[in-house]
Amino acid sequence: MKREEIAERVIKVTARELKKSPEEIKESDRFSYELGADSLKSIELVAAFEEEFDLDLDEDEALKIQTVGSAIDFFAELLPE
Amino acid sequence: MKEYPLKDIPEPNLLKDIFPYSLPPLIKFEAPIKEMIDGKEIVFDPTEVLSRDIHITDTTFRDGQQARPPYQKEQMVKIYEMLSRLGGPNGVIRQTEFFLYTQNDRDTLDACRNLGLRYPEITGWIRASIADFRFVKEMQLKETGMLTSCSDYHIFHKQKQTRQQAMDQYIEVVEAALENGIRPRCHLEDVTRADMDGFVIPFVQRLERLTENQPDHLKVKIRLCDTMGFGLSYPNVALPRSIPKLIYRMKEDCGVSSDRLEWHGHNDFHKVHINGSTAWLYGINALNATLFGFGERTGNPPMESAVIEYVSLKGDLNGVDLSVITELAQYYEKEIGANVPSNYPFVGKDFNTTRAGIHAGGLRRDEEIYNIFDTTALLNRPPKVAITDKSGTDGVAMWVNNFLGLTEKDQLTVMKVAKVQRWVMDQYEKEGRLTSISDKEMEEQVAKFFPDLYAKVKK
Repeated sequence: MKREEIAERVIKVTARELKKSPEEIKESDRFSYELGADSLKSIELVAAFEEEFDLDLDEDEALKIQTVGSAIDFFAELLPE
Repeated sequence: MKEYPLKDIPEPNLLKDIFPYSLPPLIKFEAPIKEMIDGKEIVFDPTEVLSRDIHITDTTFRDGQQARPPYQKEQMVKIYEMLSRLGGPNGVIRQTEFFLYTQNDRDTLDACRNLGLRYPEITGWIRASIADFRFVKEMQLKETGMLTSCSDYHIFHKQKQTRQQAMDQYIEVVEAALENGIRPRCHLEDVTRADMDGFVIPFVQRLERLTENQPDHLKVKIRLCDTMGFGLSYPNVALPRSIPKLIYRMKEDCGVSSDRLEWHGHNDFHKVHINGSTAWLYGINALNATLFGFGERTGNPPMESAVIEYVSLKGDLNGVDLSVITELAQYYEKEIGANVPSNYPFVGKDFNTTRAGIHAGGLRRDEEIYNIFDTTALLNRPPKVAITDKSGTDGVAMWVNNFLGLTEKDQLTVMKVAKVQRWVMDQYEKEGRLTSISDKEMEEQVAKFFPDLYAKVKK
């Protein structure tokens, strides 16, 4: 999958889960800081990514993701073109 | 000051020689214990417990019963049978004592004896009175305990006697026991508040002289009764509160050997278990205990803790079956209606239940992080998590996986159980809940969010 498509879907899911508009989300944003996700919301977000990309993620690896950009890179690596 | 550089090692050092996990943590000693007694430095070797025949004696049916409504005969027979299995074939629980006063007491003793179990051996308990002695004879017991109070609080204020009168009365009953071929076990009541040189030592010396020519099975036993829980385990405490000194003087000044010495404690100062273990270390073989510590006022050394301490000191189960502790706890709860606090060690409903999310996270990754030993294998009690607003998604994941019986790679991740955790948090944040989530409620959530897995479990 192309990185652009992954980025679009990651931002769409993030915006929906964290109740933001897609335009205000930047790749450098940290989920827990700039985007204001508490620990449960962060887990729910990863769960939403699993659904979006139809993946079962490794918990330890998935919960290490801190920023929107690193999430995009993570899925880009899992879902090569 | 010596500098200690960090040792950055590739593998963890889990100190398995002390924390094997397959057993309760082991107690290792590095050096002898020194105690000043009468101006002399006395050395005790605590590693001697490895070779000495330390064991437990039970008083569930005597002191334990003084603190609660009487047990029914069938209950006592069942408890006796379970005590036998708990202590195992090597008699780690060596003896148990019975009241002999009522026909029901004596019928119950007979019913237990008729089970034909080797351990615990059945002994009696009487006041130091010739009148009481007839019950011991009638029941054909080989050994009986007898109340021989030795503080002036008891002799002067309770019995209204002089020391000489008290001693003469006690000796008369001991002589009667010996004449009938029954081993006397003198319970030195209130010994931690007694005059050592003025009464206790002279009395025990006289007892020793009485039985010095008797065969071993009739030599007097001495039970040191810390009736008010005044005993202290610390080194260099003054008598009569010092447990080390008390034991030393019994052995050195009176000639009572370890195999004839017993400790009976009370928990008035929260010291009951450590005082019992201390008595073992300083030279007593028999530690008197009751199930769940039930006993007069604040209770006696808890049997279950004594058994676990035994394993920790010996480094071996020696035939004990710790899972019977759980059976006994269930029996007490369901059949006897006894109330054991939920946080009570080894037994309480929540003794290995965590409520903290951060601990639940540790438990999920490796249960050894937050479980004291392999409670599943040894006590049949897997570590659990209780669900509240503090238990976190890790707690929910642990609860759900335990309930569904999922292990290792089959376990659901925190992402998969996030919906359950959201429901839990809504209970507190939106509904204003103040109580824990019950197992039944959690089960309902599992049925809702994981219907296929739930159906498999229910099959």
